[in-house]
Amino acid sequence: MNLYTFCYGLIHWLVDLVNNLWFWLGGHLPGALGGFFTWAGDLAKSDLNISFFAILLEVLIMVIIALINVLNFIWIDRKWMGRMFDFYGPYYVGYRIGGWLQNLADGIKLFVKEIIVPKKADRLGFLLGPVIFVASSVAALSTIQFSPQFGVLTSGVDTGVPAGVLIAFAFFAIAPFSILVTGWSSNNKFTLIGGLRSAAQMMSYEIPMLLVVASVFLLSGSFSFVGVVGAQHSVWFFIPLFIGFLVFLTCIVAEVEIQPFDLAEAEAELVEGWTTELPGFRFGLFMMTSYMRGYIGGALVVTLFLGGWQGPSLIPAELWFLIKAYLVFLVIEWMRWSNMRVRIDQLLNIGWKRLMPLAVINLLIAVALKTMGWF
Amino acid sequence: MFMFLFLAASALISALLVVRSREIVHSVIALATCFISIAALYIMLSAEFVAIIQILVYVGAVVVVILFGIMLTKREIMESEKR
Repeated sequence: MNLYTFCYGLIHWLVDLVNNLWFWLGGHLPGALGGFFTWAGDLAKSDLNISFFAILLEVLIMVIIALINVLNFIWIDRKWMGRMFDFYGPYYVGYRIGGWLQNLADGIKLFVKEIIVPKKADRLGFLLGPVIFVASSVAALSTIQFSPQFGVLTSGVDTGVPAGVLIAFAFFAIAPFSILVTGWSSNNKFTLIGGLRSAAQMMSYEIPMLLVVASVFLLSGSFSFVGVVGAQHSVWFFIPLFIGFLVFLTCIVAEVEIQPFDLAEAEAELVEGWTTELPGFRFGLFMMTSYMRGYIGGALVVTLFLGGWQGPSLIPAELWFLIKAYLVFLVIEWMRWSNMRVRIDQLLNIGWKRLMPLAVINLLIAVALKTMGWF
Repeated sequence: MFMFLFLAASALISALLVVRSREIVHSVIALATCFISIAALYIMLSAEFVAIIQILVYVGAVVVVILFGIMLTKREIMESEKR
């Protein structure tokens, strides 16, 4: 049984529960009204309707799991930054569980703030930009698979979404557009510079990232999560493609804009980058989404290079996936708090002059391995 | 059928907005909407790969390059053209 069949069964049971009442009404009401009720009941019971809501339920489950992980990530981030910089980090709110509730307190604080739109801002872009950012990130999130059985599936067969990894990257790539639109429409020089920097950074780091992903696709011969992870049955891809692994990790850090590459919100130069004018909960949503992008990035690193859900069967596959994703996140955080921010010219030089040739070399290695018939 | 009509209408209306809207960044937003609805149309024709590449290349790269081009030009020129 996979997640789809579970959700399908649940929705089917709920629809049947409501339909009992519906058909009873249809039988007792006179004429056309009764006919309408029976028609609506039949429509609700149709296979198309039930599978649609089953997929929606699957997405909801994946988003809730991601949000819980995001709360953990923010907490780990703060605590570990505290330990590395020799202070405690949050500990008052939720004293017994190490200050874990601090995130919820911050979220509530942001939630009750007023939403202010600057007077000279461009309303359409200002209100739409963050929404596109969040929506595209959630769409990328919904393609992540924890195991062949657990993910947003569309049938009872455990193959997952065809071209799932590619869909994740496609939705990941929408973000620079929304960032640029938000930065421009806030009508503030800090947001505009932040937005331009962020878009330039994301554009230039996407190319080496996709080249490395192409080499992984070449070795595995598949675009889907199940295919890519299944190809790593004997050896995980970070051993033959070690250069690619390092390039991909760097590019993911740059894509989700955390510390050594967080030029878009360099606090010392631009107040808060492209989010300077964002009010209240919109800023909170952006904050949460940027950590969610970190989670997606970690999950993609795990899927492409670290063997996905494979591991000794002492622990269930889904848990293996999460453990690896947390380890990748810890490495990223370690890089984050022990490196200084680079300048914008250094950033673009690293992207175009260092990572790009390395990614091409990695692709050549992948082609060589494939032609020698080792994979 | 209903889905196709909806997507076709959204593609056409947003394509019209690209030409008609007064603020030039609004036309870029409309352009992205147009590209995404065309990608959805590709999915309806069961050409998933083309749809994904459409989003990856057009929304991810071409729209951003156009935005860059707009933002590197002077704002005053656009404002004077508006009147």
